[in-house]
Amino acid sequence: MTATTETRIGQPYLAALRKKLPHAVLEERWQTDDQVTVTVKLGSLPEAVATLYYEHDGWLSTMVGNDERSLNGCFALYYVLSMEGAQKCHVIVHALVSADDLEFPSVTPKVPAAVWYEREVRDMFGLRPVGLPDERRLVLPDDWPDGLYPLRKDSMDYRFRPEPTADNETYKFVNDSKVETTVVPLGPLHITSDEPGHFRLFVDGETIVDADYRMFYVHRGMEKLAETRMGYNEVTFLADRVCGICGYAHSVAYASSVENALGIRVPDRAQAIRAILLETERMHSHLLNLGLVCHFTGFDTGFMQFFRVREKAMTLAEMLTGSRKTYAINLIGGVRRDILGEQRLTTLKLIGELRAEVKRLIDILVSTPNFEGRVKGVGLLDPQVARDYSPVGPVVRGSGHRRDTRADHAFAGYKLIDMPVHTQAGCDILSRTLVRIAEFFDSIAIIEKLLEDTPTGPILTEDFAYKPYKFALGYTEAPRGEDMHWSMTGDNQKLYRWRCRASTYNNWPVLRYMLRGNTVSDAPLIVGSIDPCYSCTDRVTIVDVNKARSKTIAYKEMERYCRERTDSPLK
Amino acid sequence: MLKLLREVFRTGEATHKYPFAPLEVAKDFRGKPEHNAVSCIACAACTIACPPNAISMETDVAAGTRTWSISYGRCIFCGRCEEACPTGAIALSPDFELAVARKEDLTKRAVFSLAACPSCGEPLAAAKEVAYVLDILTRSAASPEEAERARFLVSTCPACKRKHDVEQLARIGVERQMENR
Amino acid sequence: MSAFISPNDLTVQPGGLSMAADVARMKGSLLNNIRRSAYVYRVDCGGCNGCEIEIFAAITPLFDAERFGIKVVASPRHADILLFTGAVTRSMRMPALRAYEAAPDPKIVVSYGACGCSGGIFHDLYCVWGGTDKIVPVDVYIPGCPPTPPATIYGFAVALGLLEQKLKAETHVEAEGEAAPLAHPSIPYDLRVQLERQARQMAGYRQGRTIVEEFLSVLEARDATPVERRIAKLAGGEGDPRRAEIFAELAGTFSRMLTGGTP
Repeated sequence: MTATTETRIGQPYLAALRKKLPHAVLEERWQTDDQVTVTVKLGSLPEAVATLYYEHDGWLSTMVGNDERSLNGCFALYYVLSMEGAQKCHVIVHALVSADDLEFPSVTPKVPAAVWYEREVRDMFGLRPVGLPDERRLVLPDDWPDGLYPLRKDSMDYRFRPEPTADNETYKFVNDSKVETTVVPLGPLHITSDEPGHFRLFVDGETIVDADYRMFYVHRGMEKLAETRMGYNEVTFLADRVCGICGYAHSVAYASSVENALGIRVPDRAQAIRAILLETERMHSHLLNLGLVCHFTGFDTGFMQFFRVREKAMTLAEMLTGSRKTYAINLIGGVRRDILGEQRLTTLKLIGELRAEVKRLIDILVSTPNFEGRVKGVGLLDPQVARDYSPVGPVVRGSGHRRDTRADHAFAGYKLIDMPVHTQAGCDILSRTLVRIAEFFDSIAIIEKLLEDTPTGPILTEDFAYKPYKFALGYTEAPRGEDMHWSMTGDNQKLYRWRCRASTYNNWPVLRYMLRGNTVSDAPLIVGSIDPCYSCTDRVTIVDVNKARSKTIAYKEMERYCRERTDSPLK
Repeated sequence: MLKLLREVFRTGEATHKYPFAPLEVAKDFRGKPEHNAVSCIACAACTIACPPNAISMETDVAAGTRTWSISYGRCIFCGRCEEACPTGAIALSPDFELAVARKEDLTKRAVFSLAACPSCGEPLAAAKEVAYVLDILTRSAASPEEAERARFLVSTCPACKRKHDVEQLARIGVERQMENR
Repeated sequence: MSAFISPNDLTVQPGGLSMAADVARMKGSLLNNIRRSAYVYRVDCGGCNGCEIEIFAAITPLFDAERFGIKVVASPRHADILLFTGAVTRSMRMPALRAYEAAPDPKIVVSYGACGCSGGIFHDLYCVWGGTDKIVPVDVYIPGCPPTPPATIYGFAVALGLLEQKLKAETHVEAEGEAAPLAHPSIPYDLRVQLERQARQMAGYRQGRTIVEEFLSVLEARDATPVERRIAKLAGGEGDPRRAEIFAELAGTFSRMLTGGTP
């Protein structure tokens, strides 16, 4: 990309870094005007990341491991920081790890937000974060053989399926509490919502003392697939399927990462259409979450009403994209469907109806006496914990932090509008719900604004050529928060590396703190309030350490308890 | 509570009649890809574009056939095949009623014959593809000689074309040497 | 631990289950004589959520599968129908098998969505097994990515024997003298391709094709009016400003190419 010195944003951060660590900075490379990769000496990596994070309003957006042995003989790490101080930009701290000893100093002791990333890079590349206290696997299944690292270029064909090494789960759950506790596992199968995950709650009586969870039951190996079987355009369709609710946000993030890397100018009309579809996706996703909040607080009529109205958003998506899931719309360089006059009018009609109907439902929800009682002051996320772990989306905005990628690092059609950001200071489930409600109505306003004066011209450009080993970030604000993608082009019309970080990835680590101190009956509600790519789990095993007995109860019982709060299953 | 009751009465019956009455889908809905085998030239553009490899093509040299197939079970209904197809032989229809009890019923095939290279007799490409390209080139050819040249280029296999080129070059070379003498 | 499963031998199954003969007979009678509600248990074997949310949508007011007595239950022990979604990730193989074994016989297994039916876009990846039928026997396949709520209801109806399946395996064999017709033969090929490409860049593969077909049919029409005037009328008479813009762009390309310039 042709970034010029005058237009570059973020130079003060580099100057500060050079001043504080005079001998650490080796090189700086600008991908776009507001994206810079700065190479540091491996030993200074934690210090450099921590400096940007805590002294210059940086938030850790993602970390990318890359096997660059065929390019420079080393493995590479890229810590991506979203700088949200006076100048808004992305600074990527880059360091090379020797292929001989495979060790790097862990950043986690200085910046806790790095913990999952460093566990993942150990799973996928076999790199050893020295000083990282958590030695457990994160991504790979328990039955995966030791010493086989899927993302190393020379480790295996993407289709290799090692024989299972175990027929049962071997994951160790961590409990930090000082008192004796009861163990409550939930999962991995569950009934009400989406994906599997395995929770373990450590309780003292009815109170949750600590919690731990095992995720990645759905690890499929998409990043490996993207650099093997698929070409650049095919990966946009794969990115749709990162998540069944906010897949379009991933697709846009991926496409823009490649577009940023190659300096492709995407037509304005395509950018506006992308923003319209992203907001359509946010509408149906937020309605889903509002419905679930009703469900968990025992207000099932409200749940059905929200789902009934949500179908209007699905009709809108089907009309604009041909599928209820806003899938399959992006290509590198633009979009595949236009919004013609007839569709524009139908869209305006549908969102008008949605505004009126949802407003009535929200009135009903907030005037239900039980509702506030269940969500106010529950599931608190301390703003300092939020600062340490870099959560995203309504979760961080409900704890008073003004972070929204659409406003901080305007992308796609958001460059064409003024983007309001809603925050709430309550830090509880109520705050997160109120943020979502406000954002729902914003979505309608954004779509109206973009349809009012949509740019003219083409929706797709094919006027570019792929160049090898160019890399850049692409990002979107999905309904659940920032999605961050990093792509490096390869020399064979395929990606060399695609790194995809979904919003919920950044929200899981803080969940533990949100659960602590609450009652067991609130657990599904709290998990639901981060709007995870699933909200609860199937079975609940209760191990009462004090009484030396264990007992398994069905998830449905757990959920019933959450809704009715009578007849504790723990007794 | 009253508000809620009012909302419930205001809504009335919300449920679609489907399956007792047909359900209307949006215009340009992406349902089952309909393949029109007559228009298909077995060029394989769709097999390359298809992200999940639901469309594939297999060549059986011994039988002289090329078999195109689609698995509706693997299809993600993205419409890339429709976008890539040069003859409009595949398009997504509004049909969504695809559930089956036998997995074999999810597959549709089309068998095409292969054309042989007139020089060496080796199979070259699907006969329909060769005929289609020839049709286009002959129509746009400025002269009968150009049309004949196009026919040669299209119907000859790459190996024979190379051989032909080498022979031509050699002949030119010999002629030049003769001239130089 | 034995060696890796080679990519050329992906049909190797990770220890799937098969069905005993008496269970199969019981299942036949369940399918024929069901006179009560059918209870469904969802087994997520590593789906992306798309399928899960669409199943949700199928039981909520607009589609209301409970009209037919189809009810989603909380435990596999209550289930008549097991709905498997996802491409079966390695981590979910054992939990899924446990759920299958917990459900009482006879049970109907429905493989839901492209991933369930065949692994979908993930079919050959290292961390999946590539579809429900790699671990348990399947009775009904519901394709879709994801299947829409009406497609889900149709699938249930097929699973319960209430509706006949429409799709049948087909093989077309090229007929003697079969030839693919050339579209718009009266329009020069280069011009047509150029117009089609431009329409696609202006309005996408689908709407663009509709628009360019309208444009080409005006070009082709046997009409006394000069072609330029016909095209101008097409753009001028269009009520939708966006379509008018695209027609005007196509007209510009047409006249540039006609005068021998580059598109």
